[in-house]
Amino acid sequence: MYETLITLIIIISTIIVYLAMYLLYRRFPLPLFLPILTTTVLIIAFLQFAGIAYEAYMTGGQWFNRLLGPAVVAFAYPLYQQRKVILKNLQPITAGVLTGLVTGIVTVLLFAKWPFVPEQMLYSLIPKSLTTPVAIEVSDAIGGSPSLTAAFVIIAGMTGAIFGPFLFKWFRIDSTLGAGIAMGSASHAIGTSKAFEYGPLAGSLSSLSMTLSAIIGPIVCILLF
Amino acid sequence: MTLLAGIIQIGILYIFYLAGSKLTELLHLPIPGSITGMLLLLTALSLKLMKPNWIQHGAKFLNAILPLLLVPATIGVMNYPGLFSGKGLYIFFTVIASTAITIIVAGKISQYAEKITSKKKVEDECMKHLSH
Repeated sequence: MYETLITLIIIISTIIVYLAMYLLYRRFPLPLFLPILTTTVLIIAFLQFAGIAYEAYMTGGQWFNRLLGPAVVAFAYPLYQQRKVILKNLQPITAGVLTGLVTGIVTVLLFAKWPFVPEQMLYSLIPKSLTTPVAIEVSDAIGGSPSLTAAFVIIAGMTGAIFGPFLFKWFRIDSTLGAGIAMGSASHAIGTSKAFEYGPLAGSLSSLSMTLSAIIGPIVCILLF
Repeated sequence: MTLLAGIIQIGILYIFYLAGSKLTELLHLPIPGSITGMLLLLTALSLKLMKPNWIQHGAKFLNAILPLLLVPATIGVMNYPGLFSGKGLYIFFTVIASTAITIIVAGKISQYAEKITSKKKVEDECMKHLSH
């Protein structure tokens, strides 16, 4: 009874904080006010302040995780709706996803293949642009640490959601196609949730790129490392 | 009524997720169950085995609350305070820089490829008209 109550409190307060942050973002649509960022920062600050461990928070938090599976399945609907545009643009989509995949790996090697970076750290970084469940498995297979990888995946996702709009402006990525593919290839589901702000086409292209990366990524990573 | 329909539709999506997970496990696929489930649903929709409006509301709802669903997993970074100080900062910025470069390259390349292919299509159309 007591545990159920705690679980309910965690779930309800997470929803309330998120709703408040969502309204704030609607009022001030600045990248730094992205609801997933502000909600996460607020809850982490509260947990740290109250001395509550992540594992304790997850007694309630795991219920959100359980809906992540069906939420990924649900991407099939916008993909199906946009199938004509997608089929017409298969070449640019494949080109973008493949270069994105290679760039993600090459830049990690460039920045982190140094004697002062432990090997396990390097291998944990490599799958960071894949969606969490895939990234964890790849990390484990190539000799990384799955939990570290999970943290890197989140940082990669946040980077896309926060800095993506600036990068699009600075580097003149002005087509819906370019933006959607970039988000999905580099920043998986967090990037995709941001891409849907640009409209259903950008969102679908992003989820498609995320899916293609999730399918091709493990093969590339495991063959290379 | 829509609430009930929404819950049933999320149930259908959940069944596809479970089926996808089972298939991944049985065939030892290198992709997660959720992605397999999505491909199953996409196939069912394409083959007209499923009607889009059987899952439309549930899918739209889950899509709308996706950032909220990602919050608890994201809070997990609190277990790695080392990433935000000292040597860890180097790794932290590596992830940010690598992601930013990936966004620029993937975005630019696909935009460029889009221009080439659409140009080619227009040219092909012109050629067709000329040859007639």
